[in-house]
Amino acid sequence: MEDLSRFKQTYFDESAELLEVAESGLLRLTPGEVDSDEVNAIFRAVHSIKGGGGAFGFTDLVAFAHEFETVMDGVRNNTIPVTTELVDTLIRANDLLGQMLAYAREGDSAPAGTTDGTVAALRRHLSGGAQPAQAPAAAPAAPAPAPVPAAVYADDEDDEAGLFGDAMAAIAAARAEEDPVPPGKLRWTIVFRPRSDLLMSGNEPAFMLRALRRLGDATVECHTDALPTLQNLEAELLHLSWTVTLIADADVDLDKINDVFEFVADDCDIRITAEAPPPAAEAPPPVTDPVPVATAAPPAVVAATPEAPKAEPPKAEAARPRPNGGGAEHAGLTSHTIRVDLDKIDRLVNMVGEMVITQAMIAEHVRELPPGEFQELLEGLEQLAQHTRELRESVMSIRAQPVSSVFSRMPRLVRECAATTGKEVQLVTSGETTEVDKTVVENLVDPLTHMIRNSIDHGLEGPEERERVGKPRAGTVHLSAQHRSGRIVIEITDDGRGINRPKVLSKAIEKGLVPPGATLSDEDIDNLIFLPGFSTVDQVSNLSGRGVGMDVVRRNITSLGGRIGVYSTPGEGSRFVLSLPLTLAVLDGMVISVGEERFVLPLTNIVESLRPKAADLHGLVGKCDVMMARGEYVRLVYLHQLFGIPGAVADPTGALVVLVETEDGSRLGLVVDEVLGQQQVVIKSLEANFRRLDGVAAATILGDGRVALILDVAGLREMSRHMDSRAPRPPVAALPAPALEPV
Amino acid sequence: MTLIKWSDEGGTVRLGLPSDLDLAMAQPLLDSLRAGFAASRTIIAEAAAVERVSTACVQALLVASRHAAEQNRTFAIAQPSEVLAEACEDLGLDGWLKQWSQA
Repeated sequence: MEDLSRFKQTYFDESAELLEVAESGLLRLTPGEVDSDEVNAIFRAVHSIKGGGGAFGFTDLVAFAHEFETVMDGVRNNTIPVTTELVDTLIRANDLLGQMLAYAREGDSAPAGTTDGTVAALRRHLSGGAQPAQAPAAAPAAPAPAPVPAAVYADDEDDEAGLFGDAMAAIAAARAEEDPVPPGKLRWTIVFRPRSDLLMSGNEPAFMLRALRRLGDATVECHTDALPTLQNLEAELLHLSWTVTLIADADVDLDKINDVFEFVADDCDIRITAEAPPPAAEAPPPVTDPVPVATAAPPAVVAATPEAPKAEPPKAEAARPRPNGGGAEHAGLTSHTIRVDLDKIDRLVNMVGEMVITQAMIAEHVRELPPGEFQELLEGLEQLAQHTRELRESVMSIRAQPVSSVFSRMPRLVRECAATTGKEVQLVTSGETTEVDKTVVENLVDPLTHMIRNSIDHGLEGPEERERVGKPRAGTVHLSAQHRSGRIVIEITDDGRGINRPKVLSKAIEKGLVPPGATLSDEDIDNLIFLPGFSTVDQVSNLSGRGVGMDVVRRNITSLGGRIGVYSTPGEGSRFVLSLPLTLAVLDGMVISVGEERFVLPLTNIVESLRPKAADLHGLVGKCDVMMARGEYVRLVYLHQLFGIPGAVADPTGALVVLVETEDGSRLGLVVDEVLGQQQVVIKSLEANFRRLDGVAAATILGDGRVALILDVAGLREMSRHMDSRAPRPPVAALPAPALEPV
Repeated sequence: MTLIKWSDEGGTVRLGLPSDLDLAMAQPLLDSLRAGFAASRTIIAEAAAVERVSTACVQALLVASRHAAEQNRTFAIAQPSEVLAEACEDLGLDGWLKQWSQA
């Protein structure tokens, strides 16, 4: 069984995911509105953790998980009522389970008494409710359950996504080494764990086990560790489970085994694994499909479940209807997912990136070929470009993850913040399935945590104050995500009091962040909250007020190539808008030239390019130049001025203006010499390789080998706004007394 | 509470298991076992007449044997019928039956 150690890491990783599933479910558990699917999901998560823990011999963890699971079983059987106190206890139990896992990961035992308080609380709920469906496990002080084969617990339905299929396979593989399957036979391991009320529906396990024995040479092992005492036994409740090892001819397939359990599918948990003989000199007879057992070697071990094996989905599905309509995609054989080390994916992404560059270089050289010749080569390269694009998109989608993994953490945060501040808060989320690069997802946790804390602590009013101003007692924080213009936009909106601008400004002046007497627009004042060291609260709380938060948020977002904006209406609330790139690896861009330099503009920012007439150009006195485009004035940004590039075309009428749009919808006109063409470019981080530059999102290598900077349109707008002195430009007609607010 | 046929001979309680140990008989069997252990340190379940047996009744006998082991009592299943033996074999409890029928 030493082989099992290889699977421990997977177990811990997957248990972490299951803890999250359980936690998010617990946070949604509301007295009076119990969702049975949710409760089942929590139960399965805890049960799977327990089952895997049993396989690895984590007895303390298993004993505690069993206590937790028993209460969850009572909840799902409606014998334990859901109360706020119960939910709190269960959340604590979930946390503790996480700690037990941490101890197990380190190879340590939890200190004595670690679980006592929570176990006592769990048992109080148990005794307060009706009789649990299963006997509680041994108390922590009593001998913990002995390590059991994963099969005892790792049943398909309760094992989220067949998570412990690998451990099952390892157990089977270890056994196969000791006791190989005879040639021409298959060895099936069937774990049959009936629900305690199975007998009451008239079903008789002995008949099923006898039917299995008829299929081949069966060894039946009865697990009696869940038996209660003589005094506590309820005569009609079943506390036994079984593991059957069946050596059968190759014509015994999964369907035949499924048929045995056809009428109890909803009343028991079943997991089935199949082992083929190791490849030997004597070749086994061909094995009929539905379980691909005979191909892998050595030894071939396949975790299978009664439902929906890939080979014959309709038949198997019918053989085992699923309660709650879920879980069909779970478990080993039927799993449609594989786990891949992230490094491998990153290497793949890098290689695709290099391929994109090479393809661009070839395309560059091909342009120099005589027109009309090498037609087939050109067509082939065109196809290659298309395939490269598709490959890039496919590889990027591997790294894409839904933001739900981050959003699901927020209900707990809101709950804790609400408890700390005494405010009533309702969190509404939307767009959780929006996908974005894994790196972006991972780096969203801290910024969102900070912002939601701020919204609750600073933004929302207390219940009494809200009632006074005619608002509902409970404030609402809305967290949403959506794709927009090739980026992901995340918004955190609250219906609180909004930013107190006079207070923000006076604090900023007091702290020397703004010179006294400065006149700032509302937007500028709102943005002061992102300055390092800024805080308006007089008392530092656990939640906020230390002045480290929003500046860190902005820095984190910026380092991801994103931007953050704040929009606030006094008395109505605030809205924080985060805009982030979907991927940090490749983008579609337009290559432009300014003087001798080349830049890349993200395609998603570009609206159009045009050559303005002199009549369309106007100068704002003491400010910038604007251009009339499509009925609105657009600020002109001279790239050669911003970056100090000599030899560029300075007159917009002789150059080109590329109209670009930022995520907030505002437009700019970038004055450039020439638009050279569209190109897929590989993003190379400037911060990682050099340092951050204003107005520049990243760098790339062009097809001709030159390095080009990828422009950050919103950054360019900020740069142009803050340019105090303007370089000489060709005079353009000044607008009289402009009341125009340039974009 | 319904108890199955039993007799107390010199401090040994003998339970005469009926021919039909179906699910409905599980509760009387369990009650009888509890009463037997309350009355005596030695319980013998006479199983020769058993012609039909449910898992629930086997489970009750199993729990009784554990109880006896934990409480240092004597418990035995005397002359198990072929049906009971087959049922125990199906349930993977043939080893258990062998152990407790020889006690």
